[in-house]
Amino acid sequence: MNALTQPIIAGQPLTKSQHDLHNARSLLDATLRAVRQQAQATDDPYVISRFGDLHIRIEVAAALLERAEDFLNSHEDDTEISVAIAESHLASADALNAVSNAEFELTGQRTALHGSLHDPLRWKLHLIGNFRLNGIHPPSLRSAV
Amino acid sequence: MTTSPRTAHIIRSDAEAIAVAHKLAARFAIEASVRDRERRLPVAELDEFSASGLWGITVPKAYGGAGVSYVTVAEVIKIISAADSSLGQIPQNHLGVLDILLQTATEEQKHYYFGKVLQGYRFGNAFSESKSKNAGAFETRIRFDKDTAQIDGEKFYCTGALFAHIVPAVAVNGQNQAFIAFIERDNPGLTVIDSWDGFGQRTTASGGVTLNAVAVPLSAVIPAHKAFDEPTADGPISQIIQAAVDTGIAVGALEETKRYAREARPWIDSGQDHGWQDPFSIAAIGDLEWRVHGTEAILKKAGQAIDAALLNANEDTVAHASVVVAQAKVLSADIALLASSKLFELAGTRSVLGKYNLDRHWRNARTHTLHDPARWKYHLIGNYLLNGVKPARHAWN
Repeated sequence: MNALTQPIIAGQPLTKSQHDLHNARSLLDATLRAVRQQAQATDDPYVISRFGDLHIRIEVAAALLERAEDFLNSHEDDTEISVAIAESHLASADALNAVSNAEFELTGQRTALHGSLHDPLRWKLHLIGNFRLNGIHPPSLRSAV
Repeated sequence: MTTSPRTAHIIRSDAEAIAVAHKLAARFAIEASVRDRERRLPVAELDEFSASGLWGITVPKAYGGAGVSYVTVAEVIKIISAADSSLGQIPQNHLGVLDILLQTATEEQKHYYFGKVLQGYRFGNAFSESKSKNAGAFETRIRFDKDTAQIDGEKFYCTGALFAHIVPAVAVNGQNQAFIAFIERDNPGLTVIDSWDGFGQRTTASGGVTLNAVAVPLSAVIPAHKAFDEPTADGPISQIIQAAVDTGIAVGALEETKRYAREARPWIDSGQDHGWQDPFSIAAIGDLEWRVHGTEAILKKAGQAIDAALLNANEDTVAHASVVVAQAKVLSADIALLASSKLFELAGTRSVLGKYNLDRHWRNARTHTLHDPARWKYHLIGNYLLNGVKPARHAWN
């Protein structure tokens, strides 16, 4: 087991985001190191802009994680906290997914990652949308995570 | 066109700026669609906007302003743009010029022009040229005599110039160094042409400016090139306002999307009684939500990075501000286009009817995001990350 395959600790609503973000950053660093060893790749405008895209996704994930932490530590109501956490999960997973694809594309390597079938992202989109569109509250934070 | 404005209120704090912006936005939203449809230029709204004090919030405390954070500036522009993105865009160059004044003007000039702004004077702009080689090349000339300067040239994309009290114009000297001349709106030789007929941002009062032997005293000229010769936050300041306008368009479009998606008919295969029960529409709203919030969060980080660069301007802080603002720029362009297009997908065919004029959100997003291409922002960010190359310093980074 290494840093990228540690299990997720239950009961901590942002552990999943932190974990995905950490993994995304580690993979990005590994990919940057690999690409820097190929002189022609560091001048390739498409490779360069690809890293721009990855960096943006990681920064969004970090910013939404921070936002969800702020919500958790504030007096926001349970639903707003749940929604902010769901958004953070989505952003971190998006960043990790994008970096993982880029790692494979640019280096030919694919670092194994945990799947997340037990906590599917598609239902986070539903949770957020159902509240913002229809005002339907998700199950309380305490039972949802 | 009046050459002296209504007396402006002076805003004292960041919180007051945000509160005033919300109040104005609620009023501006009421007729935003009609103004767009009829291309009715927002004359009264602009007077109300600048008289509110919002055009003076970046004037430093030392000169009598509130010197608010750029987090607040971006929030104010976002709030106004969510209601009417043309109105949100109009102060864009005014705010940019205030920082160039701060960076390059003499003390006397700062006191004079900041004072004017606090009184409610609006600066337009005569910066861009549509016929020069690229966005950063200028053919407009400035010639210095003993105590006057003469400016000759032709400008385009002059947002705000039509309703400005003073039109700052960029012109280069024989060494291709850029200066800004502050030209009174009624100065002989200055002609502002109401020629903007773009399909979006229709009421920005953009258009052309011709400068025909315009003479100004030397006290009305600042050495603007110095804002880029040395590392300053001026490029990121210009850019964050762009990103804030686009973020505002996204926020406004998402609100409309939810309103109209609620009323959509259920799709025949969904087995639902109402469109709002459609699981795919619900998830699509969820997707827009996190992307809008991610963009807003990065816009805030960009404001903080600019504040840090203003406090301590050096190559590193300015490069960092440029990179974070570029992130906000990419995200805001993407989400403005996505939200304003998803609106129709989720609201269904009835939402394209002319009477709703909902296409204005997409037209505004598409038009305003063309200001400078997001594709080169990915490159800017990636080059800094991969190769440690600092962004070029100009008004588009």
